[in-house]
Amino acid sequence: MTKPKIASDWMAGCAGCHMSLLDIDERIVTIAQVADLRSTPITDLKQPDESGVDVGILEGGINNTANEEVAHTMRKRCKLLVALGDCAVFGGVPAMRNFFTIEESLRRAYIETESTDESGQIPNDPELAVPTRVRAVSEVVPVDINVPGCPPDADTIFYVLAELANGRIPELKDDKLSWY
Amino acid sequence: MINLTIDGKIIEVPEGSTVLKAARQAEIHIPTLCDHQELTPYGGCRLCLVEVEGFRTLQPSCTLPVSNGMIVKTGTPKVQEARKFVLSLIFSERNHFCPYCQVSGGDCELQNAGYEQGMDHWPMQPTFQKYELDASHKYFILENNRCILCKRCVRACDELVGNFTLAVEDRGADSLIVADLGVPLGESSCVSCGMCVQVCPTGALIDRQSAYKGRDTQVEHHPTLCVGCSVGCGVDVITRDNHVVRIDSDWADPVSNGVICQVGRFKPLEDGRERILTPLVRKDGSLKAATWDEALKTITKAVEPQVGNDKGIAAVVSTRLPAEALYQFKSLFSDGLRSGMVTTTEDGFPTRGVSALARELKRPFEGKLDDLRASDCVLVVGADLHLKHQVAGFFIKRNRPNGTRLIVIDPQENGLEAFADLVIKPDQTGTTEIINSLIAALDGKDASVELISAAEMLKHAKKPVILAGKNVTAEVEVVRALSALREKLGDSAVQLSIKGKANSFSAAQYGLEQDFAPGGHAVVYAALGDERPSERLLKRLVGKKFLAVQASYASPLTAMADVVLPVTEWVEQPGHFVNTDGRLQEAKKVIHQPDEVRDNIEVLKDLAERLGVKTDCQWQAALTQSNTPVALS
Repeated sequence: MTKPKIASDWMAGCAGCHMSLLDIDERIVTIAQVADLRSTPITDLKQPDESGVDVGILEGGINNTANEEVAHTMRKRCKLLVALGDCAVFGGVPAMRNFFTIEESLRRAYIETESTDESGQIPNDPELAVPTRVRAVSEVVPVDINVPGCPPDADTIFYVLAELANGRIPELKDDKLSWY
Repeated sequence: MINLTIDGKIIEVPEGSTVLKAARQAEIHIPTLCDHQELTPYGGCRLCLVEVEGFRTLQPSCTLPVSNGMIVKTGTPKVQEARKFVLSLIFSERNHFCPYCQVSGGDCELQNAGYEQGMDHWPMQPTFQKYELDASHKYFILENNRCILCKRCVRACDELVGNFTLAVEDRGADSLIVADLGVPLGESSCVSCGMCVQVCPTGALIDRQSAYKGRDTQVEHHPTLCVGCSVGCGVDVITRDNHVVRIDSDWADPVSNGVICQVGRFKPLEDGRERILTPLVRKDGSLKAATWDEALKTITKAVEPQVGNDKGIAAVVSTRLPAEALYQFKSLFSDGLRSGMVTTTEDGFPTRGVSALARELKRPFEGKLDDLRASDCVLVVGADLHLKHQVAGFFIKRNRPNGTRLIVIDPQENGLEAFADLVIKPDQTGTTEIINSLIAALDGKDASVELISAAEMLKHAKKPVILAGKNVTAEVEVVRALSALREKLGDSAVQLSIKGKANSFSAAQYGLEQDFAPGGHAVVYAALGDERPSERLLKRLVGKKFLAVQASYASPLTAMADVVLPVTEWVEQPGHFVNTDGRLQEAKKVIHQPDEVRDNIEVLKDLAERLGVKTDCQWQAALTQSNTPVALS
């Protein structure tokens, strides 16, 4: 049996879920023994294999057109899509800006922030991704497995990875189910 | 009794019970959110939906009365689906993103319900509609964005407190919890009892003092006694690492039934006074840190020459101290050192008239707070229960929608007037005369319209209660007049007095009731504990030759002292208190005092020993040496 291929990427998040993944410590060796870890934002390979992977993991919500592309690419190239962490599952902290208009958010971030001098300017290069409302991954592409948590516990992440590597669908409940 | 079947279990419950109550009795778990054991069922959240045979739709078990032969199922796929759907709707309505909420991680009933239903995501995303946040209140913040409209806060304000401050404005998704007619909470009629904060199932009502200071799994609960006043409510003091984090009411407490006021809940945590951490002795005109031995020796040296001299030592003690300390104080100064001026910081003022009548009648003549709770007509004389002894006021105010009438007689302004059916101002005539005229009116004699109306209300009441406050109970004539009024109203009528501080009753029984007049006394000893010295006390102690103060906190009084002894505050000392209706209650030691600080009772014992005074521990027996106004229980 070939080892299942796992790829991950991050979008509108804080990288904390990937840090929590690293918190599984030496158990990452166990994962590497049973799964083929492909592209991740913290390894050299950045894009999931065009030939496809078995499991795609996404951290963060979707807050611009670039994130949308990341989500669509991952969805297209993976069999099972995992939303990792509160931002990917619910929208999380970035989604708080949904209570304001995008214009308000941009003005606050680039012009009104205390550390900005008078020349504050909202970036408008046409090559930049266009900001959107912050969405949970499931609002853009179908998600197979939700792993909430801010961040999810390292033990929970290990459980999820181990189950997936062994060809099972992890079940998030009881002490493994937490949103904060 | 009614027989019904829940999940195949046959259950017998009294008629009028709800399906939810029946299920709980049979230990069948039904998840709930808007339900609260102390509040009337509301049926707002729909999380407790169950399937009932013969019913077309799912039914909320919290409001559904049981009926004979009813067959209820609580775990069918239809019910489980409904629960998830209900939670999905609630989560989608407002801002329920958990990471920044102070109750996330175990203390949020909504989050717990989500976990219980295995919700690993929200099937419907939030609408991101913005609601108002009201941060105008001193003690808590109303964050409408986290509100699930369960109305527990509104029900607590109405049903437990009777203040009717909170209400719901608008309809549907626009519904908002508002104060009064939509004014900021901080400017509203709110009395800051905090019951709404305690019953809120989510993080919508944020306690400024305790938010983020520890979740329930990280703190310890200590049921003990509030010493804020003579009502004597049980409280749950919540601590973490030897610090008080929060004070909640104790639902199991028989006196308050789980209601407390601002004085019990918020005041102790905003003390802000400087703690005295070591004994202080005045040297070369200023107070210097000293050892306990040095401080106590300085006192004994000043006291010894005055022993037996009636005008030698004046001693004053706080009625916030346990009965053990009051008794020790009295034994030491009155019996041991034979001082003629031993009294309390209240001068016995709130109890004097009541004690006098008890001795005169040689039997108890007052009723219990239970009577007040059950009364359908209350006559309050000279007690502003809206301001002080608030919980006693809550007992009256919350019964008003059920028809309880309230008559207020008070020469001074009284916060209860806004809630009263009838307000009588004694004006030129004294309170005694007004009461006597009321008795006359009950006899059908001519009186003012108000008095006739009051007489009518009292006459038709099933359980009239007369409650006298400390503004009037110093005078035995008033107490006697009220007693006559009670007799006139018949056997069902009950008389109560509110007395004063937590242990005014005990102090009265120990005979500590005289006016504190430290005129020519050479030595003054003030055992203040954690009480704030009144202006009146300070005035009387200015320029004393030798002043020793036993106190927890720095104050203008300790600044005047020659010796200051640092002592425990209320949560640091165990001891007994007798509340206003004669209930002997125990306060627990909840946290440890700072190193050099000693227990109030221990300090008095040490002092007695050093002065060669033998004292005993008969504090309990001494409570009943003279006739009590109300039977002790």
